Amino acid sequence: MPPAEILIDGLVQSCIYITMAFGMVLVFSILGILNWTHGQFYMLGAFVVYYSITAAGIPFPLSLLISGIIIGALGMLVERFVIERLNAPGYGMMYVSVATLALIFFFEGAAGMAFGLMDKGLATVLPGVLNLGSFSVSYQKIAVIIFTLVVMIIMYVVLNRTKVGLAIRAAAQESVAASLYGISVKRVSLLVMGIGCALAAMAGAIMAPVYTINPFMGRIPMIFSLLAIIIGGLGSLTGAIVGGIILGFLNSVIAYYVSYLSEFVLFMLVIIILLVRPQGLFGAPIK
Amino acid sequence: MPYFDYKTWIPRIVIGVLIAIFVILPVFTTSVITLSIFISSGIWTIAVMGFTLVLRTGQFSMGQAAFMALGAYASAILTVNLGMPFWPSFLLSGIISGIIALIIGLIVLRVGGIYFSIITLAFGELVRIFAQEAEGITRGVRGIIPPTPPTISLLGFDINFAAGNPVPYYYFMIILVAITAIIFWRIEHSRIGGTFASLALNQTLAEHQGIHLMKYRVIAFTIAGVFTGFAGAFYANFLSIITPFMFGLWQSIQIMMMSVVGGISSIVGGALIGATILYTLGIYLSRLPIYNIQYVVFGTVVVLVLLFLPKGTGLVDLWGKFWRKVFREPDEYEIPEESEMAVE
Repeated sequence: MPPAEILIDGLVQSCIYITMAFGMVLVFSILGILNWTHGQFYMLGAFVVYYSITAAGIPFPLSLLISGIIIGALGMLVERFVIERLNAPGYGMMYVSVATLALIFFFEGAAGMAFGLMDKGLATVLPGVLNLGSFSVSYQKIAVIIFTLVVMIIMYVVLNRTKVGLAIRAAAQESVAASLYGISVKRVSLLVMGIGCALAAMAGAIMAPVYTINPFMGRIPMIFSLLAIIIGGLGSLTGAIVGGIILGFLNSVIAYYVSYLSEFVLFMLVIIILLVRPQGLFGAPIK
Repeated sequence: MPYFDYKTWIPRIVIGVLIAIFVILPVFTTSVITLSIFISSGIWTIAVMGFTLVLRTGQFSMGQAAFMALGAYASAILTVNLGMPFWPSFLLSGIISGIIALIIGLIVLRVGGIYFSIITLAFGELVRIFAQEAEGITRGVRGIIPPTPPTISLLGFDINFAAGNPVPYYYFMIILVAITAIIFWRIEHSRIGGTFASLALNQTLAEHQGIHLMKYRVIAFTIAGVFTGFAGAFYANFLSIITPFMFGLWQSIQIMMMSVVGGISSIVGGALIGATILYTLGIYLSRLPIYNIQYVVFGTVVVLVLLFLPKGTGLVDLWGKFWRKVFREPDEYEIPEESEMAVE
């Protein structure tokens, strides 16, 4: 049994993967594409929160919201000007993928030009640790966990109890039928992309004080949240939660025993799951 | 007087002149920098051709650079650790990479579409991690230094592959690209190329016509693996170093972008244009004094090409368009406006 700190670390990592995976799942179920730029919105969110705290002196919870709003708007711009045009009939799915992959280079280069390549730290946002007898947890990590729980609850309520959520679910299930019933699938796509990017940005913002901030910090969370939704099943929010938890815990627990094996095991696991059950643990079977 | 259709011959002559210029380029310049750029572009061209061939069957592989790594490591391990001569090990590198592609393809191509992309992505990362961690075989992050190829005596000339002399490598690249291009051209315009296209266009219909899906997908993937392996082995020998980070996920993404920007309507032409333009652009921009600008411009160029060329065709389609403009011919096809009728 690994020590409690390792498990807490696994939980924190799972939380980040879950929050990011939510955005990817939403975008995938409405637009039918994988948004490869998701990790770069995570990185930009962290930068926004860094500058709004150090340069503008805005308190942390407020800057969290600000980063969500700014990056959500940026995501909407990307959806409107790039994804929507390339996701039209007549294009293959690959063109959107390549465009979002190219945007990775664009955003990383732009962030490197604007903010520099040096690591930045944001250590003094939520100082202190919570002592729990044999081990202790920093308040920052508790904030990450609480934030993820809040996001999960809000997502559940919005998707299941509001009209917007009904529209999103309808568009995900059968977009043509949904548009016949007066739902603007175009606007739902825009909204979903905004929500997804805002979630990624807030995940980056809440993680900014735990890790260092640099223009390339988005790559690994993006790959891992992608693997999480693959394990859980594309298009399933429950799957995203389960996949995120599996990945976060496996990553930190295996890394505790054999450091270099963790990535190897995770990628093997993904390959095996895809071969045995391509639709993932909770996904609908492939037609 | 035999009928001489200048409309087909003038474009062909222009292509021939371009090829001739590339073949005699070392006469004009033996600058290491210029030739290195073209050598590397040629190597990426081979990898991109392999990627496009797989794409022709409707699958997109996100681990194509892993086969370059396999070829490079196979050739280097055979020469350094097992003491084989250079040329047999170079031939074996492509064969080994092809065999691995065959095995992977047989297992993985059952699941198609996006799942295939993700599995190849994971496979590429596995190869990278293995190269990084199996220090006993691959020397980990320190990398392997492959020996330079032996001097060849041919018709009284000594072809010396010494470091700092890029001309032999340049001609080696030209020969390799030419062989690959001829083979891929033949594949594209033969019956099997048509079969590949039918898989991509309508999988169900192709299957009901009696085409064995798996068989043709695996064939395409294996051929791509063989040539990508050759490209990797040559790249490692040209740079005289292999490290695990040379052929990672980002290189696979680069291959993908080169293929799509160049255009997938022609395997050979699209790969040549896409790889040469994007690689040269990247190298040129990284020499500018503004730090990091190459990534910004690279990303912008790729997105703009995708957005503004009609219906997601690449740069290679501009060639035909250009000649139709010159000869004042009507466009071959009009894009029907009805297809704009997206679901609102």
